[in-house]
Amino acid sequence: MKKIIDYLKNEFNSYSRNIRIALVVLCALVGLFIIFGIQILFWGLGYTDMSNLYPFGQWIIGDLGLVALGGGAFTTGFFLYIFRVEKLEPIINSTVLIGFMCYLFTLVFLVFDIGQPIRAWFGYTYPNWGPHLMPQSMLTEVVWCLTLYFCILFIELIPLPLKHKVLDKIPALHYIGHYMHKLMWIMAAAGTFLSFFHQGSLGGGMWGVLYAKPVWFDPMYFFWVIPAAMGGGTSFMLLCAYIAGKVMKKEVVPIETFHTLARISGVMLIIFLVTNAIHVYTQATIYVPAADRRYVDIFGGYYGLWMVVIEFLFTIAAIVFLNLKKFREQERFFLAGISLGALGVAMSKCTVVLHGSSVPNFPWRPFIGYNPTIQEWSVFLGGLATMVLIYMWAAKYLPLFPHLHKHENEEH
Amino acid sequence: MKKIDRKDFLTLTGGAVVGGLTGTVFSGAPFDALQWLVEWTQDQHRPPVGREHFIRTVCDQCRDRCELSIRMSDDRAVMVQTSNTACPLGQNALQLLYHSERIQQPLKRDGRKGSGRWTPVSWDQALTDIAAKVREKAQANKRHLIAGISREYNLSSALLDRLVAALGSRNSYYEATLESLTTAALGGVPQYDFENTDYILSFGARILEGWGQPNSILKAFKGWKERGTRFVMAETNMSRTASLADEWVPVKPGTELFLALGIAYVLVREKGRNSAGTGFAGWVTYINDFTPEQVAGITGVSAEKIREIADAFSRAARPVAVCGRGIRGISSSAAEITAVYALNSLVNTRAASLSQFAGLGNPPMSQEASQSYDANEAKRGLDEFIKDGNFELVFINGANPLHRSVYGENLKAKLENAFVVSVMPLVNDTALYSDYILPSLSFLETRTSAGDAVTTPYGQSRPAGQALLDLAAKIDEVRGAFPWGGFAELVGNAPAMRPAGNFAFNNEALKSQITLLKKLISEDRNYPLSLIPCEHPLVGDGDGLAFPYVLKNIDNYTYSLGKLWVLINRQTADAEGVSEGERIDIESSRGEIGSVRAHLTDTVAPGVVAIPLGFGQRANTKYAEDKGVNPKEIMSAEIDPLTGCADWWLTRVKID
Amino acid sequence: MEHNESANITRKAPAMRRRWGMAIDLDKCTGCGNCAIACAQENNMPIFKDDSDLPKRVTFLDLMKVTNDRDAQYPNVHVAYIPKMCQQCEGNDPSDPKPPCVSVCPVVATDVGDDGVVSQVWSRCIGCRYCQSSCPYEARAFNWWKPRNEGRFQESLNPDVSIASRGTVVKCTFCSHIWKRERDKAVANGELDINAVLYTPACVASCPTGAMVFGDLNDPNSEVSRLSRDRRAFRLVHTIDEKPADEQKRLRGIKNYPNPKVYYLTSQQWIRDMQRFR
Repeated sequence: MKKIIDYLKNEFNSYSRNIRIALVVLCALVGLFIIFGIQILFWGLGYTDMSNLYPFGQWIIGDLGLVALGGGAFTTGFFLYIFRVEKLEPIINSTVLIGFMCYLFTLVFLVFDIGQPIRAWFGYTYPNWGPHLMPQSMLTEVVWCLTLYFCILFIELIPLPLKHKVLDKIPALHYIGHYMHKLMWIMAAAGTFLSFFHQGSLGGGMWGVLYAKPVWFDPMYFFWVIPAAMGGGTSFMLLCAYIAGKVMKKEVVPIETFHTLARISGVMLIIFLVTNAIHVYTQATIYVPAADRRYVDIFGGYYGLWMVVIEFLFTIAAIVFLNLKKFREQERFFLAGISLGALGVAMSKCTVVLHGSSVPNFPWRPFIGYNPTIQEWSVFLGGLATMVLIYMWAAKYLPLFPHLHKHENEEH
Repeated sequence: MKKIDRKDFLTLTGGAVVGGLTGTVFSGAPFDALQWLVEWTQDQHRPPVGREHFIRTVCDQCRDRCELSIRMSDDRAVMVQTSNTACPLGQNALQLLYHSERIQQPLKRDGRKGSGRWTPVSWDQALTDIAAKVREKAQANKRHLIAGISREYNLSSALLDRLVAALGSRNSYYEATLESLTTAALGGVPQYDFENTDYILSFGARILEGWGQPNSILKAFKGWKERGTRFVMAETNMSRTASLADEWVPVKPGTELFLALGIAYVLVREKGRNSAGTGFAGWVTYINDFTPEQVAGITGVSAEKIREIADAFSRAARPVAVCGRGIRGISSSAAEITAVYALNSLVNTRAASLSQFAGLGNPPMSQEASQSYDANEAKRGLDEFIKDGNFELVFINGANPLHRSVYGENLKAKLENAFVVSVMPLVNDTALYSDYILPSLSFLETRTSAGDAVTTPYGQSRPAGQALLDLAAKIDEVRGAFPWGGFAELVGNAPAMRPAGNFAFNNEALKSQITLLKKLISEDRNYPLSLIPCEHPLVGDGDGLAFPYVLKNIDNYTYSLGKLWVLINRQTADAEGVSEGERIDIESSRGEIGSVRAHLTDTVAPGVVAIPLGFGQRANTKYAEDKGVNPKEIMSAEIDPLTGCADWWLTRVKID
Repeated sequence: MEHNESANITRKAPAMRRRWGMAIDLDKCTGCGNCAIACAQENNMPIFKDDSDLPKRVTFLDLMKVTNDRDAQYPNVHVAYIPKMCQQCEGNDPSDPKPPCVSVCPVVATDVGDDGVVSQVWSRCIGCRYCQSSCPYEARAFNWWKPRNEGRFQESLNPDVSIASRGTVVKCTFCSHIWKRERDKAVANGELDINAVLYTPACVASCPTGAMVFGDLNDPNSEVSRLSRDRRAFRLVHTIDEKPADEQKRLRGIKNYPNPKVYYLTSQQWIRDMQRFR
């Protein structure tokens, strides 16, 4: 026991001051996550600020955001393995890990969000398949797609630990890792297919089918969420790797990789912008008026129209910074571009959930505000903190950035 | 024997595992386990199933005496089947019957008054103790310091009146209800023939929201449209009753009396109508001040409208003018009750009459009791008694004056120094200050005129009347006054209503009161706003809050998330700088109540703050406890010279 | 109403046996609250100390207080109460009902039966609240806390309705357990056609003014069916009903509409005006 404590102490003290502060904060958040998570699981969702009038809250925003941003993994994999954009090779391990964690924590948040976690598996045993091949409930689709894609990401992830110094020395494991890597395009293809599917469902189809709710109903939802995930997700992958490099004070990924992926992200964000504009246009001119309401009334309510405006401003700024060479190659604008790209997509998810639930269903009811409680914040931020810690651990002990090791090996 | 080598070992182990797994799968155990898991995760509680049958009974909560059919599951009452009769009072009966805080056996105070700490005692001990106290007061020549306070006229309150009188005290009081106020002002309770009337003129009485005898009114209401009955509602704020009326006459706050006087003026002076009421000649003399033009200035109703109403009222075949502002918490001055009832007598309508509660008659008294009874005068009403009266021993029969009277604080101080006996099924604010609480029953546990009780009585509870009879049996002096074998014997011959004589105008009292009311409705620079009650129909003036299913149906602008809401007119709120949802304090000359939320709506008149009654209770079970504030703390406390009850309807206030 | 010309609607497969619907005459509703109490009693609503916590409380029938103070100023104001339960939506095609909440359930905990009633299996529900989000009438309630009927309140529990677990969505089913009860009785009495059995939900049975009427919308002679075609009839915030027939047809081509089976009747224009968002 004492050994373990000493080991942890030494380990902790081996870091710089800033990292130590970050570690303390992150561990504190994980602690809160555990405490309040237990409270939520055992005593119910009464401790959240969600209510019968506001049934979806922060965790759903988290789910949507994570799924969208985690979509960067399948996009990168798609371009690397299918289109053979070899320049993306140095970042793929990082993206796969992030993608894996995003889906893992989507499932974790979902488990917290449903009222009966011990019945969570009913989604597999009593799925709501419709009359045709397509599942009838978007959530059924989400559950299945997420699970399958989660498995694929898990398989994609296997070569990563196998490349660890110790494991790599065992010949069998070395070959398994090697050949799995070679066959990864199959996984990438399957992952891409599934990702398209559930991006559409969790991101868009989920809301687009709620025909009785003018704030959500729009068949276009399905189409703008996929480019959102591809654009915003790749920006997010870049952002994570960029921050990792800054923290480690090393070049973790070659600059060409950054720029290649940034260009992909920029192009995808253009498609996102166009589809999003079409979505807003169709909703504002066809579907909201069809329900006898006005778009500005619905989206200009409690949270204000500015959320939609900011969503667009962020996307446009990101498009400019990531697509124009002169901006992309300046570090400041590159950073701004990838941040705004990820934020713009995250913002669109906030708009969907926050506006969606706050809009009154009856003309005599007011708009509803929502203030997440400490329990919701703890589970949400604690989940994110866990992801950061895993990422940090992987960056230190696993060959997350092969470029870095290549570099180190050269130095030795 | 061949040595088992590694290969063989692996083969054997593998075979065993595969075989075992196959066997397990085919044995069905995994499926049973899954089935078990499904059932375990689908846990849900099904209430015990019993034989379904129905029992008929009669609701005793108002004079309507609705017949109810109770759906039973074995011996549990599970539903009040109403077949289009009865009101929420009847529907709530099961929640009282099975209330989680019903008192099981007599409770003796343990600790400071108001602390809510009790020791359960036996009936015999409780009654012996109380009887000893009563005898002690009688021997100390303090008979006039014995009092009884009842919620409403019924058999048990008649028994309490008789007990108090037999002991030589006149101090029997009733909380301010429609019945007690009208009886004090008119000498009887007005009976309206809502079924056959063709013109209804209501002065603030919200007759369609649970006022009076709800079921018979609602039944009659079904036919009003078809029969062409015209319903005119004079009220300050828009209520559901006003909205359902054919015409709503908005009046300035607290001026219903003057509207009635204006209409009376037209009937007497312009249409030459006369009333048969005693003292009418005297009353007529001060009608002179209330020409329609003058009344228009006071009430805000135009002179033409007043004449139009008077005209329609006088030409109707069977019109009724209805008094008694509010739903369950009624507050009307004697002047107003008289003026409104005078309209009925001016048109000589057959649709309104007065009747009285018969009571149980005067008891035989001992000589001392008789002397004491004759030597002391009663106060005119409960509020006056609380304010100016004295008592050392008081019986509380289902009443809650501590919460409902504007003199609740005074009563609290007096209860601290008196011996208090409460008879009720749930501990309310007043019972909190008792020395003894005797548990009584709901009507589902007692024999009614429809037959036997629906269920067995809870714990050791007894009917309130039985508890009083048992107490009387322990006091030698009054035993003779209660010759009945038991409460059940009395139920069959419950005192009925009987017609009251002609009503009288009590001119002296009325005249001074009218002057006073005129002052109250005039502008006040310090307190520019008018506070007017607005009841939630299910909560009423407080009793409803003890029922959880009532709590479930309180809307978001009455009480939500721990805050009571008041309604303020939009313009007024603008002028006062109050915004929607803001927390405000309300202050009158009597004090301040704090932290209510303001909802801005034009359903209330300019210059008016409407506040729900019945909230801000300290006890009355945990469901009513500490919810909101009690506006009675700051409401007008001017005591009516005839009813002896405070007229709290209109209070001048300001807001912070 | 234009869209309701073919009152006698049968489901493609299997046939719709009943199409239970309700009509509530707001001209007769005084807002007494009897229906709400009867509903809570019949359906074993959980009991909490603070059930005045409006956003999280569990009720099937919500007595909504509606005023027109949005459009009018004192004294041109009105007040009404609108009893609102599950409106049993059926989507554009009554012969193939598609309520907004049914298709979204990931575990088939909610479905629409051949009597047109949207059911909810409390023990199947995983509590994702997707149906709640999809409901335009806020008719579904989630058990944010463990449902409790503490102490003696348990004695008044109705044996026909089970108590849901914490974290599940519950809803009004037009008291369909009463129909089951009545049909069981009919079977016991030798009745063969159990679908011929009629019943009355608790709220309707308790209405003192007879403002609520319940029956089969497929039966053109039933009172509810007659009332649904009354010119005073409207449906909650379902403003498409007010549009001309060809416009309605065009709009229904664009999207599904809830098409609830609860009709409200009023002679007051202001109540109709308040159904529209301004």
